[in-house]
Amino acid sequence: MCKVSKFLLKFCGIVLLLNVGLFLVFFFDLDGKLLYRVVEPFLKRHYDNMDRKDPVKTPYDMEKFPKYKYDD
Amino acid sequence: MAKKDIKKALRDFWYGKPHSAEEGGRRLGELLEDKTQLYKHREWRGVKDTLYYFYMIWGYNYLHMVTDIIKYSNNPIDFLKGTWRYRWMGQTYLPVIHWFDRGLQGMRGEALAASAWHYRAMVSASIQQMCNFFNADTRLHHGKENNAYRHTILAKETTCGTLFYPWMDAGYRYVPIEMIPYFVTCHVNSHTVLNYIDAAQSIGLPGDPCPMCQAEAGIYVLDDVPDCSPMAITCNEACDGSVGTAILQDWFINKPLFALPLPMQFDDPLVKKYCMKEIEECWKFIEEQTGSPFSWESMVKRLELQNRLQRDEWEKWEVAGKTDYYPVNGVAQALFRIFSTQYGIQGDFWLEASEKVKKIMYKCVEKKINPFPQTRHRVIAWSCAPLYYSNWCTWAYNCWGLNTLINMDSLMFDMEMRTDSYENMLEDMATYHMWAPMRRMAVGGMHHIFELWEYMEKFNCDMVAMYDQLQCKGMQGVHGLFEDEFRRRDIKAFWMPHALPDCRTVSRAEIRSLINDYMTTVMHEEPLDPSLLDFDDSMTW
Repeated sequence: MCKVSKFLLKFCGIVLLLNVGLFLVFFFDLDGKLLYRVVEPFLKRHYDNMDRKDPVKTPYDMEKFPKYKYDD
Repeated sequence: MAKKDIKKALRDFWYGKPHSAEEGGRRLGELLEDKTQLYKHREWRGVKDTLYYFYMIWGYNYLHMVTDIIKYSNNPIDFLKGTWRYRWMGQTYLPVIHWFDRGLQGMRGEALAASAWHYRAMVSASIQQMCNFFNADTRLHHGKENNAYRHTILAKETTCGTLFYPWMDAGYRYVPIEMIPYFVTCHVNSHTVLNYIDAAQSIGLPGDPCPMCQAEAGIYVLDDVPDCSPMAITCNEACDGSVGTAILQDWFINKPLFALPLPMQFDDPLVKKYCMKEIEECWKFIEEQTGSPFSWESMVKRLELQNRLQRDEWEKWEVAGKTDYYPVNGVAQALFRIFSTQYGIQGDFWLEASEKVKKIMYKCVEKKINPFPQTRHRVIAWSCAPLYYSNWCTWAYNCWGLNTLINMDSLMFDMEMRTDSYENMLEDMATYHMWAPMRRMAVGGMHHIFELWEYMEKFNCDMVAMYDQLQCKGMQGVHGLFEDEFRRRDIKAFWMPHALPDCRTVSRAEIRSLINDYMTTVMHEEPLDPSLLDFDDSMTW
């Protein structure tokens, strides 16, 4: 078998395997299960523990900017 | 196995199981895990539709979520940094494909394909907005105010994107503050928004106003809004609750801010004149802040595209109203329309999706394909929908054969904009601005709430799904008027109580139970798929 045929056969095999693998992920909702049970709880913990600025401590300076009135 | 059983098994494999229980039913409820509603395994829709879903929806959208980031982001690393920094980003972006699953459950053939194209456009528009946020966000760029920051116009999500077309040719981008952090999250992952509602109440704000206004304030309280623009524009949409939000935003944004009013009594010609003047003042504010002049060419170019999208929609409505061949399901119709009309023409995704859907629709018309063959009732949904259960109409079709053809949100911006002169454009712009979401036929739309009857006739509907937003004081005030009219006109209608984004007030299960009760006790009908009658989805996205 020439090199080109071997390469094509190998390529088709890899594509087929990739398709079968992805189809299994799709059909058994493995993406959803991973996201719901692993990724989201991990991210939630991260967001819950994040240091955040307390915006309530920002002074509400109402005179800081002009009124932006253009009706004169 | 008997020959008959083998034949049925082969038929089910090739075409998918039939819809109704009488035909041996597909029992969709049994495919899902209790509480989380994750699939034990995804639905087998027959060879053709399963492969379509696998390649053209699941695979295609995962792939395009990545290519969209590359397309719209100045640096894809910023997207990752944004995901790490913002809760609404991480929790929303990941379950997107499961948002498709919920909306497209049980769909087959043309209904599956057409509805999915609407979803695709919405995902693309969302990614564009996320990238606009992160390209400009000083928090992701060591406090630096870069070029994208200086070219971003930040506005409240209910300030229509149409207003900002004149600056788009000069490279400015409109970013609606809450459309992604609040609105989209509720649909995709209903858990996220609860953090923001609770945050608003944690600083002592009352819990009884509209939870939308609370959540929009809450994203600021939790310091979860990108710092992406040197200015902001707010408005009072939908009600006085939003005025409260806008005051908090003025406080927390702490930058030049223009408050653009949205009149409640919008039918008054004098009010319209006032509104036109206010819009012009807003444009002057933008000119002053950006140093870039109003461009008529930029405005006209995009208004023409917007008008094209509107004409597309009218074509679709014509088919939806007069035939059984309209292929888009209730949730895909509603979300595509409210998203596209509010965000405006900021890219080519809306028109591309619309072209694809029209092609599918005309195929249905030509070949007389009914994409929803189990329709028992043609439903119009009125008032504001539960964001955490926008896919209720997919469930209602699968379980009861209720086909939601159209809804109030889709019908709000039912107009073209004139581009023949500045004066005409401005007048139409004021109308469009005043016909805002939750305004034209809801809060403030006192002369328009009963347009329901006209649209019922136009879309040939025989049933009304009446949303009942329990924390909307405006619409609560007209509850009794609708009750009276339903009785007087002998219209079949069921009420659907909810609290807009907050799934804790009225659960999805309670909503389903009310519809089940109506369908059994009033309509005396049997469910098409009994496995969908009662299930626990309390922990689902």
